[in-house]
Amino acid sequence: MAELGPIAVFLFILFLLLGSGVWVGLALLGVAWMGMEIFTSRPIGDAMLTIVWRSSSSWTLTALPLFIWMGEILFRTRLSEDMFRGLAPWLARLPGGLLHTNVVGCTVFAAVSGSSAATLTTVGKMSIPELRKRGYPERLVIGTLAGAATLGLMIPPSLTLIVYGVTINESITKLFMAGIVPGLVLAAMFMGYVAVMSRLAPDFTPTPEPAMTFGQKLANSRFLAPVMALIVVVIGSMYLGLATATEAAALGVAGALVLAGAQGSLSWATFSASLMGAARTSAMIALILMGAAFLSLSMGFTGLPRALAEWIGGMELTRFQLLMALLVFYIVLGCFLDGISSVVLTIAVVEPMVRQAGIDFIWFGIFIVVVVEMAQITPPIGFNLFVLQGMTGHEMNRIARAALPMFAIMVVMVFVLIAFPGLATWLPENMRSGPG
Amino acid sequence: MTDLPKASKPRTGPRPVLRRALDAVYDGAGVLGAACLLAIFAVILAQMVARWSGLIFPGAADYAGYLMAAASFLTFAHAMNRGAHIRVSLLLSALGPRRRWAEAWCLAFATLMTGTVAWYACRAVYWSRKLHDVSQGQDATPLWIVQLPMAAGAILLALCMADNLVTLLLTGRDNITEDDLPDQPQADQVQGE
Repeated sequence: MAELGPIAVFLFILFLLLGSGVWVGLALLGVAWMGMEIFTSRPIGDAMLTIVWRSSSSWTLTALPLFIWMGEILFRTRLSEDMFRGLAPWLARLPGGLLHTNVVGCTVFAAVSGSSAATLTTVGKMSIPELRKRGYPERLVIGTLAGAATLGLMIPPSLTLIVYGVTINESITKLFMAGIVPGLVLAAMFMGYVAVMSRLAPDFTPTPEPAMTFGQKLANSRFLAPVMALIVVVIGSMYLGLATATEAAALGVAGALVLAGAQGSLSWATFSASLMGAARTSAMIALILMGAAFLSLSMGFTGLPRALAEWIGGMELTRFQLLMALLVFYIVLGCFLDGISSVVLTIAVVEPMVRQAGIDFIWFGIFIVVVVEMAQITPPIGFNLFVLQGMTGHEMNRIARAALPMFAIMVVMVFVLIAFPGLATWLPENMRSGPG
Repeated sequence: MTDLPKASKPRTGPRPVLRRALDAVYDGAGVLGAACLLAIFAVILAQMVARWSGLIFPGAADYAGYLMAAASFLTFAHAMNRGAHIRVSLLLSALGPRRRWAEAWCLAFATLMTGTVAWYACRAVYWSRKLHDVSQGQDATPLWIVQLPMAAGAILLALCMADNLVTLLLTGRDNITEDDLPDQPQADQVQGE
């Protein structure tokens, strides 16, 4: 690295702005501006505007507000109650009993929502009080919920995957397809953990569920059918190449509106609240993406990504060693930043490294999502832990300890993903190509 | 960690006309932004319907893109005052009572940065109009028209930052309030500290 001094200044400004609490998107714009100032003599303002305009008016990005809106609509329906009532009868007989409603509920809601906080709130609102009433160990109730909620980031639609796809210019549909199998595998691993713990934990003595006939079970879960149908339409239309990610999102919004209307929970108030909520969240992400787009332009001029890629290349790390280094790096970063910010902030630097190592970008997207998901449940600060604290009133330490086994399972998931890359790459390679 | 700024206490008493007017402008622009989102939905549905019935909707992708930019920029200021934009608040919450000065620095920087963006956004619109720039896509829309919401939103965001800075310096409290909803579903962010 030839120009160590200026790069140090550049990084110092980055940490100063982000650390002092400047809003992430603006901090990225500011750092990028300073980078241009130090490393080039180009007219900065016009370059910034060109890139800000290009990144904010991109067609791919329109999938983002639509998927957010879809989740916002469903969040305001009675889905939470329906989910618990519909799932409980089917899962009661498994070893681990109703704890599985946490995992399966999160998996289902993850398939209509792109965020893990939303998944956690929707599922936990109902399952926490119900499971407590039946005497399930609190530790397991909280732990499984914290862990399983992270599936919201992995199972499509996933906001993090959209942001990743937009940032590195990969097909969002392919990324979504890639997330399905690893998401299900992770869910199965959580369920396996629940089953094992139900045998091992001495305090696992929940009230057994009353027996139900098959007809009663069906009657209880009739409300779940429309949600399942919505999931099949959204994911199926993408898989069969009938719709692009954006179009699938529009279908999802239409379906969610119909569903909410049929349920009677669609009023002008919920409609406008969901639309305004979606507009705000998507504006928040758009600001970060703008900053990130200008930053990656500026980063190119600093030579930092190339230098780092060469440096890493010079160390002759194996692919596995590189991934381990990135794993640790993202876990540490995740202590300070949310998933989306850590992805956009680092991708300009990480991309050349990963490219040089010959790693598939679709696969890497899933890897990065699992890793930033872990950050959601790690102390000192993980978003899911905070949401859970608000919902249960427990101390942060207790929640973090309860979530620790889930963290371990996710680490195992990373290794599974490395050992069997086909989990992520098989579906996208075999889907029909989309309309463009 | 990234999270929301600390919630300010609910305001009491009558609020000055200027305050109400500014808030109305931010929220009004936010509503326009949400309307753009609705329009994106309509454009994409129309495009799908057109394709299924063998027609073409020329430039649909471009229109959706312009609407996306308009939706984002017009909602920025409103999102700001509802505390939707995320930030790393580890240091801020550690500062305790001296937090005000750090907040002032953040807002001062934000005013400068958003002001710069607004300035260049206006320039971009001016030059697009002067040079009769037209979109490269099938839609061939004059660029200055579709860039206008970007400039308007950028000016509003800069105004909102300056407004927050001045309010903070004068009253010791900014205009940022949390959403009234108990949980903001989509944004992966934290309400408490």
